[in-house]
Amino acid sequence: MTRVANTPSNRPEVIQSLIDGVDRYNPDNVSILEEYLATQCSNREVDVMANLAILKLYQFNPHLINDQVVNNILVKALTTLPEPDFNLCLYLLNEQMVTEEPVVRLITLRDLIEQARFKDFWNVYESGDEIYKELTAEVLGFEDSIRKNIAIAVAMTFQSIEAPILEGYLHLKGQAFLEFVKIQGWTEANGVVSIPINKDNEAKTTVLTENIKFEQLTKIIGHSND
Amino acid sequence: MNYEEDIDITNEVDLVVSAYPVQDDDLDEELLAADQSAQQYQEIQIPEVVKKFILLFHRSVLENNVYELQSIYEHSFNKLTEKFYANESWPEPEGISSLVNDDQVFLTLYRELYYRHIYSRLTPTIEHRFHSYENYCDLFNYILNSEGPVALELPNQWLWDIIDEFIYQFQSFCNYRNRIKNKTKEELALLRDNSQIWSCYSVLNVLYSLIQKSRITEQLLVSKNGGDMVEAAGEYGSRPLYKMLGYFSIVGLLRVHCLLGDFTLALKMMDNIELNKKQALFARVTACHVTTYYYVGFAYMMMRRYADAIKAFSHILTFINRTKQYHTRSYQHDQINKKGDQMYALLAICFISPNGPNLEDPEVIEQGVTFEPVQHYTKIFMAEVQHSILLPTLRSYLKLYTTMGNAKLASFLEIEPEQLRTLLMMAKMRSRQIKWVEGTLLEGEYQGTSDLDFCLKQDMIHVSEAKIGRRYGDWFLRNINKFQDILGGLELSSRA
Repeated sequence: MTRVANTPSNRPEVIQSLIDGVDRYNPDNVSILEEYLATQCSNREVDVMANLAILKLYQFNPHLINDQVVNNILVKALTTLPEPDFNLCLYLLNEQMVTEEPVVRLITLRDLIEQARFKDFWNVYESGDEIYKELTAEVLGFEDSIRKNIAIAVAMTFQSIEAPILEGYLHLKGQAFLEFVKIQGWTEANGVVSIPINKDNEAKTTVLTENIKFEQLTKIIGHSND
Repeated sequence: MNYEEDIDITNEVDLVVSAYPVQDDDLDEELLAADQSAQQYQEIQIPEVVKKFILLFHRSVLENNVYELQSIYEHSFNKLTEKFYANESWPEPEGISSLVNDDQVFLTLYRELYYRHIYSRLTPTIEHRFHSYENYCDLFNYILNSEGPVALELPNQWLWDIIDEFIYQFQSFCNYRNRIKNKTKEELALLRDNSQIWSCYSVLNVLYSLIQKSRITEQLLVSKNGGDMVEAAGEYGSRPLYKMLGYFSIVGLLRVHCLLGDFTLALKMMDNIELNKKQALFARVTACHVTTYYYVGFAYMMMRRYADAIKAFSHILTFINRTKQYHTRSYQHDQINKKGDQMYALLAICFISPNGPNLEDPEVIEQGVTFEPVQHYTKIFMAEVQHSILLPTLRSYLKLYTTMGNAKLASFLEIEPEQLRTLLMMAKMRSRQIKWVEGTLLEGEYQGTSDLDFCLKQDMIHVSEAKIGRRYGDWFLRNINKFQDILGGLELSSRA
């Protein structure tokens, strides 16, 4: 299976043709892409190519810049970490925007997720009078998306983990925690959560053996006809 | 052709570059006056051998003698530059127009070289920058908007250089515009009143127009999937000039989008170019070959696809190394080596900001604010590097053990056990990258990229390593063949 990172399966045709053609440079089309972003914010999908196309139009036409749209694009990109989307968006913003308060706050969140400092992430996220929650408010299911990615990182690394540590990473307690564990297909017993073996957490010693291609044997097969 | 001899016997003439005095708002009038005085001055000054060169050059263009043009372009022009114009500009285009019967197409081509020489040897003034832009517009207008395809034919190398230089001057202009300090009021006024000159949209417009006119995308699709090439290429695209300009424009867009910080779009431009194909068009011009891989590698690096980046860089570095001996004499050599060194050092490219400072804002001008896009990009990229800074140390410890307590390793690294857990998770997340397998450059599959793997069972770290097994196959194959040869030899000699 080959894939382009973060392409939703059902990208609308009009968006596809915008991404592929020269129409992506036409400032009149920014609203179509902005509406598409709004859809992504409510249906929990991410289409990073389409969102980068918005930032491209902003880059060329600074008068079009809508701060809330930029904010939502960055929040969406937080939900796909550790994929590079967030940085790819930052590269298209101008220097001034990157130093403004809301973007700086989102960069702080990025740093914590990238460094797998999940407990610190939730601490910061909950701090400062809901200011972070306001930043991410328009992206439906933001916390769930982050939690899902944390679960992926944990499942890549651990075969078993003490429940209190995992609670800290997921920022869940009690029944909610147990339910989340269950949905992941993990099991909890005696304060330890076990995670089934997958190809990332098995840490099996592998020996790379050689492959002999058929072409290498042609001469030998030829001999057998002699 | 006999220039070398001629050069040796010709008296050297010192030329004085006429600097444009610009004090007036009315640029054109000033320039006209300057041009006229320069013209009178230079008619006397052009050395005989240069006149001869220009006549031959003109004739070769008229006759579409690509072979002769190749030699003129790659050798004679550079030799004469060394001899007469190492520190001066070439004769004013207006000064030679009488030599070439005022042939406007030739003069446009000549100006392309004239300004390119100024950019590479001297310091271009704002007027040079404007006029060079206008000259490119003339050139592309002639090619794109004449009635039917133009008959002109130029060497591939020159066609590549036209696109390459056009983008270089665009980049140079963006950087020039960003440095408000040290600019006179007149220069600032000129910049403010001519915002369309060297604008992003105009540059992209040229490159996309060349792609469309040449139907290069359609041609590439036919060469990939089969079909009727003549039909795909059409009236324009079947001519080498259009086909190559279209193709080089694709690589040009790869570069422009990298410069603008849009790395996915940069790679998207290459959707229809197959990098791994043996006889790809980009390989026809070495500089294009190097540029292609350099920017593909760079874009991959910025997208965290390090395995793909390394593959692109090492391909082209090997290529540069292997072909070094062949192009030491060409003027391209320096350029290519520079790119090579850049890749070895992984130096960041010169990014540009598309809009530049707001020249309407008096505060911006007063403070001489300078926007440095390179710093902006470096900051974002370095944050990523800093996050990973402990990983090599972690790795070197993991290599020594098969199992180890979390707390023990944490104490070796002088960090808290919880910090180590996060570090291990980060290492895991980082080891999984998208890697190209087939299809377009943007496609790929998730793959583990490390030969060292580990997992945590609560507080115990288990480490595993991928080992490379011994290779027997090749040894057996060789010896079976050898054995067959001996047998064959024995049979022959026993029959004899």
